[in-house]
Amino acid sequence: MTNAIETKALTKVFGQNVALDALDLAIPAGRVVGLIGRNGSGKTTLLNHVLGLQLPTRGTCETLGRPSDRLDPALLQQIGVVHQDNRFLDALSVEDHLHYVSTFYPTWDHARRKKFLEELELDPKAKVKTLSPGNKQKLAVLLAVCHGPRLLLLDEPVSAMDPIAREALLRFLLDMLQEDPCTIVISSHVLRDVERVVDWIVCLDEGRLVENVALDELQERYAQWKVTSPEGNLPERIDEDYVLESDGDRHQARLLVRDGAAHQDAFRSRYAAEVQASPVNLERIFPALVGGGKR
Amino acid sequence: MLIVIDRHSGQPVYRQLLEQVRYQAASGILAPGDELPSTRALSARLGLNPMTVSKAYGLLEREGVVERRPGRALVIKARAAGDLEDERLEELRKALAGTAQTVRQLGVSPEKALELFADLLKRPEESE
Repeated sequence: MTNAIETKALTKVFGQNVALDALDLAIPAGRVVGLIGRNGSGKTTLLNHVLGLQLPTRGTCETLGRPSDRLDPALLQQIGVVHQDNRFLDALSVEDHLHYVSTFYPTWDHARRKKFLEELELDPKAKVKTLSPGNKQKLAVLLAVCHGPRLLLLDEPVSAMDPIAREALLRFLLDMLQEDPCTIVISSHVLRDVERVVDWIVCLDEGRLVENVALDELQERYAQWKVTSPEGNLPERIDEDYVLESDGDRHQARLLVRDGAAHQDAFRSRYAAEVQASPVNLERIFPALVGGGKR
Repeated sequence: MLIVIDRHSGQPVYRQLLEQVRYQAASGILAPGDELPSTRALSARLGLNPMTVSKAYGLLEREGVVERRPGRALVIKARAAGDLEDERLEELRKALAGTAQTVRQLGVSPEKALELFADLLKRPEESE
């Protein structure tokens, strides 16, 4: 399998600020990646490097097998992008805007455009400037996918959408993946949405790669433990290094653990405690990934 | 085949799928020879990535719950009565593990707990 994106020691410095810090990342073709991280963690900077919109201070970034500062029109035509702040030709109607953009792409699929317009419930006659922020995001997605890209980059694609529109868009992305597998990178703060579509998580924190793992594996790695000690043997502070967070008293506590399964028996016998493990979702794991918890 | 997926439970989706099919096969809701929906059909219906479904199907096949025949749908595999009984007991063991823990936490004696359980088994309408 070839890599859709590959960075080696990719570093970007703005003045004093290290936006990307020696990032080594390979995203194999066909993967659907959730790019997560706090504001200013480097997500957008990374996507800009993938597109060749920004150039590395050091290191390299290859996109579809080519250094991203040398992407030619033939390769750019195989990429679809939704930027965080999309600019449109406001005076055009939705229909005319789609037509205008279609002329840049030999592979533009008009049947697909028609189908997607209906699925996303966008009025083709509406003027772009009259669209709500959510509908503008839908248009941006349509503009990015009708040419059947091999690589689709979505920077906060659902931030302005209400829950119903988000659901429609996610459903739409999933359907698109069924008929036409491509590599997708979605950056988002809305972890609940990321969790629905992606199979892989890349997490950045202060420009560094802190997690690069299959979503399944990430979910299996973290767990919540409800621990109970009838005798009140739990310490004030539980300092095992696999315990990322703890909350409770001598008799009962709730812990967030990493790779806890291997330590359950030891924990049980050390504190004479019962351990009930349950899964945790991405929203709960996220603070631990980006240093909100103990590392 | 009824599958209910909760994407925010934190349990990997492939595992939810795997466990539900396994449970239905053990309980007889899915009988030997019953066909499973294709990877494509099921992933479209549940709004999942097809890779997730094929991962679960692959594991079910390896566990011997389903079998693949060339060019046909996956089917629930016929198993010896003894194996099926083992699978049922395993499902029950998993379901009761949490209850056993509660019994210990509450400090109820095993005898009392078993008595209560026997009682509940007799009268399922009062088990709520």
